[in-house]
Amino acid sequence: MQETRFGEFGGVYAPETLMAPLEELEQAWRELREDPSFEADLHSLLHDYAGRPTPLTRAEQLSAELGCELWLKREDLLHTGAHKLNNALGQCLLAKSMGKARILAETGAGQHGVATATACAKLGLECVVYMGEVDVVRQRPNVLRMELMGARVEVVKNGQRTLKDAINEAMRAWVSDPEAHYVLGSALGPHPFPSIVADFHHVIGRESREQILAQAGGLPDLAVACVGGGSNAIGLFRGFLDDDSVALVGVEAGGEGLETGRHAARFSGGSPGVLHGCFTWLLQNYDGQIEHTHSVSAGLDYPAVGPEHAALQAAGRASYEYATDEEALAAFSALSEREGILPALESSHAVGWIMRECEELRGMRIVVNLSGRGDKDLSTIMATRGGSAVDSVQGSEVMS
Amino acid sequence: MSLNRMEAVTRSLRAEGRRGLSPYVTAGDGGMGRTLQLLHALERAGAHCCELGVPFSDPIADGPVLQAAADRALAAGTDVDGIFSMVRRFREEGGNLPIAMMSYCNPLGRRGWPEACAEAADVGVDALILPDLPVEEGGPVRAAADAVNLCTIFFAAPTSSEERIRRAVEASRGFLYVVGRTGVTGVGTTFDDSAQSFLQRVSELAIDLPVAVGFGISSAADVSAAKTHADIVIVGTALVRHINKAGAEDSAAVAAAESFVRDLMTGLGSPNIS
Repeated sequence: MQETRFGEFGGVYAPETLMAPLEELEQAWRELREDPSFEADLHSLLHDYAGRPTPLTRAEQLSAELGCELWLKREDLLHTGAHKLNNALGQCLLAKSMGKARILAETGAGQHGVATATACAKLGLECVVYMGEVDVVRQRPNVLRMELMGARVEVVKNGQRTLKDAINEAMRAWVSDPEAHYVLGSALGPHPFPSIVADFHHVIGRESREQILAQAGGLPDLAVACVGGGSNAIGLFRGFLDDDSVALVGVEAGGEGLETGRHAARFSGGSPGVLHGCFTWLLQNYDGQIEHTHSVSAGLDYPAVGPEHAALQAAGRASYEYATDEEALAAFSALSEREGILPALESSHAVGWIMRECEELRGMRIVVNLSGRGDKDLSTIMATRGGSAVDSVQGSEVMS
Repeated sequence: MSLNRMEAVTRSLRAEGRRGLSPYVTAGDGGMGRTLQLLHALERAGAHCCELGVPFSDPIADGPVLQAAADRALAAGTDVDGIFSMVRRFREEGGNLPIAMMSYCNPLGRRGWPEACAEAADVGVDALILPDLPVEEGGPVRAAADAVNLCTIFFAAPTSSEERIRRAVEASRGFLYVVGRTGVTGVGTTFDDSAQSFLQRVSELAIDLPVAVGFGISSAADVSAAKTHADIVIVGTALVRHINKAGAEDSAAVAAAESFVRDLMTGLGSPNIS
């Protein structure tokens, strides 16, 4: 294998059975990324099917209120409602080119599962998605969407029954069926996954850079994105890595607050170690056991961060902050009411951090990746508030 | 470098053309006191070496039985310090069974590899098996282990190329761990023609290094089939299941383990015929 690390982070900590499939994947990726016909096929899928480029929208009212110039990269408008489709289409096309017929995937918030189910339906591949039981409940609409597109959803009842456990189970499934392709959904796992996933999401940053130059007439001061595994953030960051004047900020899930221990802020509350195939920052106890995490958003509820983020942090190129559940919910309301956009709870963390730090950020031009839309989160949101008209109506009586 | 306890046993098996049995137990499953008694029982039953599993919260190569064993051990408060103390006591009590500590990278790596290896060797561990450490990432661990005469054991799988198997052989001391089939621990392996020819290919590539085969071996008949092209047969999930089924009493669990291992030993056949 070629370079498997970002600085000291990353690597290939995988069972021997998976080493051959990982080598094969790396080889195929190195060939196909230079292949004009693969690039043309992917471009066509992203452009004519998925709806790229996504717009960059100036958040007028919120900018005025916060005293900054806030621009939203609208990955919520991508087909299926989140950035995840960039990678799912790319990897499924890659898998198909490698002659694979069967796709395995994990999902937390369900967006990667939906994206993979979508790509598989479009490309004629069999799809099995592993999803934790807790996430199945809180992201119910996404389970139904996956099933409607012909994917089989395997409910994972081990451990914390969230994203981490879904990845464990998907990796076990892959060890059992190394002929399948595992579409890892975030910029983590063993090499070459972090690089492949980042490559497929680079389009977010490339477009954002062009759009902000065209629409605002200059580069932003700040590029901000939420960080679970870190795929949407690395996609945005890659567009600005060489622009030293652009500060990069990743926002992790602060959950109920770092002091409560119920969070997923790896850089603030963790230490380096090995999980799911890579060496990176993670939440672990004194003995190397992985700690439970908490976040109101299923997509950020994960104990490790992608290794490229760990390297960007170590190099001082990006900084990593956090927003709490409460701050994310406040951002959700603000975007809904002032901009007419229901954001995913994951993306709401990025905006929540900006809202909290608005004094410090006054006058700055900020691009924030609105990585997904919030329809999937309605039941979580509604549980935190009341007073909807639907509560007063008995559906069965009206319809009968 | 002097032979360590694991190498001494596996090399003599190879030199004398005998086959060996290596049972696996999860440390701390049922309490560390039980694990200590189990190690003595495995030795009494005639096992040639053993694997002592360090429980991990996220065991991606394990099936449901070993996942549950790890969960029970962690719930009982098992940690690496406790496992090291137990091994030290086993040696103090005269236990001479070679022990391979089997751990995912993180619980041992958390201590720093030089520290983890030095402490493991000091308490009487003889080898390390790390299921999420391929040869590519093995450099720091091998250096730390070699410095304290601890064996490192790498894997060969049915998906491994000849080149990969050669590198695993070169990096391993004690034995090479051969995964009998693709999949997680605990699902049965059928020793059909393709499995046997894979094992034969690996043992040819291994040259002088003894070869151990594991994953899904659960009866004396399996042991008998597995030993055709392997020096050592590993039994994990089936033993853990037996122990767990024996109930809450340590004495019953230990007796069940001992009798099961004695039964498995019959699969090795007469000691003088390989």
